[in-house]
Amino acid sequence: MYGLAMAKGLMVTLKNLTKKPTTVQYPEERVKQHPRFRGEEFVWYEERCTGCASCAKYCPLGIIKIVTSPSETAPKQGDKYRLEVFDIEIQRCMFCGLCVEACPYDCLFMGSGFEQGKYSRKDMVLHVEDLRQADKHPSTFFRPQLEASGYDPRGGRPLNWREVGRESWRWHQQEKSGLRLEHSPVDTAGSQQESN
Amino acid sequence: MNCQLAADNILFENALYRVIYDAVGSFLPCWLAYVAAGLAIMLILVNAVLLGAALVTWFERRLLGRFHNRIGPNRWGPFGLLQPIADLAKLMTKEDLIPAGADKITFSLVPLVMMAPLLLMTAVIPFSKNTALANLNVGVLFILAIGSLTTVAIFMAGWSSNNRYALFGAARAVAVLISYEVPVVISLLGVVMVAGSMSLANIVQAQAIPFLLVQPLALLIFLTGMSAELNRTPFDVAEAESEIIAGYHIEYSGIKFALIFAAETGAMLVVAATIATLFLSGWVGPFAEYIGWFWFLLKTLLVLFVFVWIRATYPRLRVDQIMALSWKFLLPLSLINLAATTLEVFFLRDSAGTLATIDLWIMAGINIPLALGCIFLFGNLVPENAKVLSVRPTTVVVPAVATVEVR
Amino acid sequence: MLFQDVVFWVLAIVAIGAALGVVVIRDLFRSALLLALVFIAVAGFFVLMSAEFLAVVQVLIYVGAISILFIFAVMLTSDVRRGNLPNRLQIPAVVLPALLLAAMVVTAVSTDWRLIPDSQQERVGLVQTQSVNVLSDSALEQAGVSSPEEMQEIQQAGIADLLISDFVLPFEVASVLLLAALIGALALARGREGT
Repeated sequence: MYGLAMAKGLMVTLKNLTKKPTTVQYPEERVKQHPRFRGEEFVWYEERCTGCASCAKYCPLGIIKIVTSPSETAPKQGDKYRLEVFDIEIQRCMFCGLCVEACPYDCLFMGSGFEQGKYSRKDMVLHVEDLRQADKHPSTFFRPQLEASGYDPRGGRPLNWREVGRESWRWHQQEKSGLRLEHSPVDTAGSQQESN
Repeated sequence: MNCQLAADNILFENALYRVIYDAVGSFLPCWLAYVAAGLAIMLILVNAVLLGAALVTWFERRLLGRFHNRIGPNRWGPFGLLQPIADLAKLMTKEDLIPAGADKITFSLVPLVMMAPLLLMTAVIPFSKNTALANLNVGVLFILAIGSLTTVAIFMAGWSSNNRYALFGAARAVAVLISYEVPVVISLLGVVMVAGSMSLANIVQAQAIPFLLVQPLALLIFLTGMSAELNRTPFDVAEAESEIIAGYHIEYSGIKFALIFAAETGAMLVVAATIATLFLSGWVGPFAEYIGWFWFLLKTLLVLFVFVWIRATYPRLRVDQIMALSWKFLLPLSLINLAATTLEVFFLRDSAGTLATIDLWIMAGINIPLALGCIFLFGNLVPENAKVLSVRPTTVVVPAVATVEVR
Repeated sequence: MLFQDVVFWVLAIVAIGAALGVVVIRDLFRSALLLALVFIAVAGFFVLMSAEFLAVVQVLIYVGAISILFIFAVMLTSDVRRGNLPNRLQIPAVVLPALLLAAMVVTAVSTDWRLIPDSQQERVGLVQTQSVNVLSDSALEQAGVSSPEEMQEIQQAGIADLLISDFVLPFEVASVLLLAALIGALALARGREGT
């Protein structure tokens, strides 16, 4: 029958009237992001950072600016630089996460938020003070130790610098000591310094 | 009091008119009372149509949102009811541009000429018993004639914009309009024959059962044809929001655009009222003497719902498909409807020329299977042209425009 | 009556002004629009004379179709931007229509216009107030016309009935003429084979 397909189309649209709309009303509710979301509010742990500037070297857009000077903190570990300037220009950041991938000390993490909009271009730069005070809910992007521990930045508690590194992660320890297991254990209750 | 309306005056039955006429006639000369009463009712109608157009835009956006599984506008006012006012404020504060080289007088007159026909159309629609402003005995023809005035307005808009895309869009819109007038007029002939009169009040009285059942083909053709004449999706090639050639109102901004848009939406409202009157038996319902207007509004709202439903469901047709639909599908259907209705009315009517209710049921019983059968037959007869049409530039001086051959 | 006089004068001025504008104005598109305005004013005259059906049909056909035809023709003309060019026929173009106008005015004023006889006035009244839908004997009887002679006079013809009954052959021949015009237009517009 000729018009049956058209009538079926009309029924589909009519059924939509009975379903609940999927709109998220923005200022009152926010869409929940997933744990590996590469968000704007970078999470930086100053205690772990040595000032190596790998993140600045790896950034494809060159928006990270790091100025360091020699210092004598942590002389036993081989010295850390004193960081004077650490700027991330989020107005041109494309949130690719290469800086996070580059960091050898697990001190830079992507954030989990998306609301850093400002009214002028000068404010769209994260200085070292902003990074120090930022909200410490790191995204689990490129950090398998956080993911293996089941951390969820959306609802979890803020993490401190001792908990976020890979040195306490069981898989990593066994990898470093040359002991390879057949499958990688996902350690949810492994070492004593893990987060929940 | 001292002025009496003549008994054969067309406004004699309108109760509101007589009230105002008598009230004003006590201190004004008679002819001035005549004019004043008319103007008062016209003011009510014009305001009703304009406010109705604003409410219809709200209704359409909310309903489209629900059809698309989202909420419509809900920020301004409770349920977004003040959204049309926000739109109006935005449009009024925009710069009023007249393009260079455009014909200034014609350009500025177009919103007026677009608004006028639909305001005129509301004069004949009966909102309740004896409540049409002018119960013309050629009411149906009046609506058709005034509706064809919009064509001139669209052409004025396209030509005076000094923009070849506007002219192209206007030419397309006018071609669609005049193609769809033919099946629409012929389909209404069936309704007129069954009711025995062209006056809208008489047609409502003659609907012992709604003409939706007695003339289903006529309703289908009228609905489709009017969707095309109003440039509603799926027929809105003239103002397609996602095409680059944006149509005849491309150069309009500010309050002129607001008026054109209000004219289109108001026309949709008036056409819905007409369909409710002609096919859904208007103000008839339980307790119709007291709340006839409520049934009328309910039926108009139902027709508006159908318009928005169709818009939410179907994709836009190409202009050659629109023409094919009119000439190859709707026109034969309307002629078949006319022939069938003529035969039925000729054989079924009694000596005084009226049709009884049982005759209407018989006609419904014949016409509904006829409608389904014809749709099935014609739907399978019109082949879907899947091959590429040849595009051939002609020497016509609508510049840089290629005409597409309709096969 | 004052109201109708006012309306008549307004419509007359609009119609004559627009008609003069059609022939005088340079821009072709505007003269086409003014022609549409003339048609609307003529429809207004028909309403004044209580011929509502004619008025509505005038709007539907003239404004709704023929004006569109004119506008399409204007649009498809190639030199339309130059408009109405001045030429040497201006003096004859004033004199000849003025003579024609004088002849028509004299004829219209000096003719003895007879109104339709009373029986047909009654027919008009019955149909306009919709007391009868069909001019059959029983319907007329119900409407109060008693004697058969009156019924016959009422049923006798106006133009519409004459066109269908006594003059049906010229009517059909006119439609054949229209068909010929349509075929001619199609043949002219078709273009060559293969292009």
